[in-house]
Amino acid sequence: MKFKLALAVLIATSSTAAFAGQAEDQQVKFRQSAYSFAAWNCAKIKKQVIESPETFNKEQVIAAANAVAAVANSGLGSLYGAGTDQATGWKKSRLKAEFFEKQDDAKKVAVAFVKESNELAKVAASGDVGAIKTQFGKVAETCKSCHDGFRVKD
Amino acid sequence: MSVTIQVWDLPLRLFHWLLALAVVAAIVTGEVGGNLIDWHGRIGVFIVGLLVFRIIWGFVGSTHARFASFFPTPAKITAYLKGQWQGHGHNPLGALSVFALLGVLATLVGAGLFANDDIAFQGPLFGLVDKALSDRLSGLHALTFNVLAGLLVLHIAAIVFYVRVKKHNLVVPMLTGKVSVPKDRAVSVSKAGVLRFVVALAISGAVVWVISNGAQHFAPAPNAPVAAPSW
Repeated sequence: MKFKLALAVLIATSSTAAFAGQAEDQQVKFRQSAYSFAAWNCAKIKKQVIESPETFNKEQVIAAANAVAAVANSGLGSLYGAGTDQATGWKKSRLKAEFFEKQDDAKKVAVAFVKESNELAKVAASGDVGAIKTQFGKVAETCKSCHDGFRVKD
Repeated sequence: MSVTIQVWDLPLRLFHWLLALAVVAAIVTGEVGGNLIDWHGRIGVFIVGLLVFRIIWGFVGSTHARFASFFPTPAKITAYLKGQWQGHGHNPLGALSVFALLGVLATLVGAGLFANDDIAFQGPLFGLVDKALSDRLSGLHALTFNVLAGLLVLHIAAIVFYVRVKKHNLVVPMLTGKVSVPKDRAVSVSKAGVLRFVVALAISGAVVWVISNGAQHFAPAPNAPVAAPSW
């Protein structure tokens, strides 16, 4: 009897341990996926407006810019719950703990990313390659400002 | 009675000032990011070319450009610190700085060639390594930059110290190539010649060409959006 009880306790505690942090890990997984997807779309835009402008395809660039804007507007902030700097998604999160102490700065970079991405979607619709290139650079700067401020260097 | 001798040959001076310009440009473009990151990459490859040239020149250049002529042995450093060093060119402490700067810069640009910024930029040799290694080299690139920044501060502080305290201007000779020394301490220096310069330049240029153009052949498959299906 005692043995069965001990076994039950053991199973209960170990499964609790296994589930602990699962919500955080899931948040990290979602946000890593979101940024990877945005990066894929950014790569397409860069290819077509900067690296090989002769391949420029207006519809594809609009689709890519809309996808980046959709990621930016999806409410990513809710994926930055407490403890997610220590969680592991597809790989260990590189979020700095400072992120949680400097919420105003974090909000600033997040708002800038949303603003510039929305502007990129607008500019993409115009089909003006030069303007798209300039605006693309501004979006990339907002990515960098967050990497510089809130991401641990590997 | 003093005489003027040549310490820095023209290729060495060109190397120095082009490197100074390129490093400043690389720092600015790297800090700003955005679309300037592509220029950061190009400047980095240019710096690789400069370093390759400097290494070759360290073996075939004129006397004071050669590594062997200023290699800082403990005996030389001790003599220098006691005020007994009588040579020309890089003094033993300056030589330490030269090797440190060259080594750190080589690590920095070497790592940068394989780096990525997780935005839309990859170094020209990114395709030769997997993403995880590229991420680690990107980290090394950032870390090494801090070391370089420290060395640059030291480099400039040392120049100011020599001018202010030791009344010894190091900048003018790096522009003119010449220093004035007491006649009894003048030594003749070997010259390098145009042919050696042209060969060194050609090898450096070839390295730059392979890195920037050869990379296309081993880069990962592009995202090929043009051939993408309509959905």
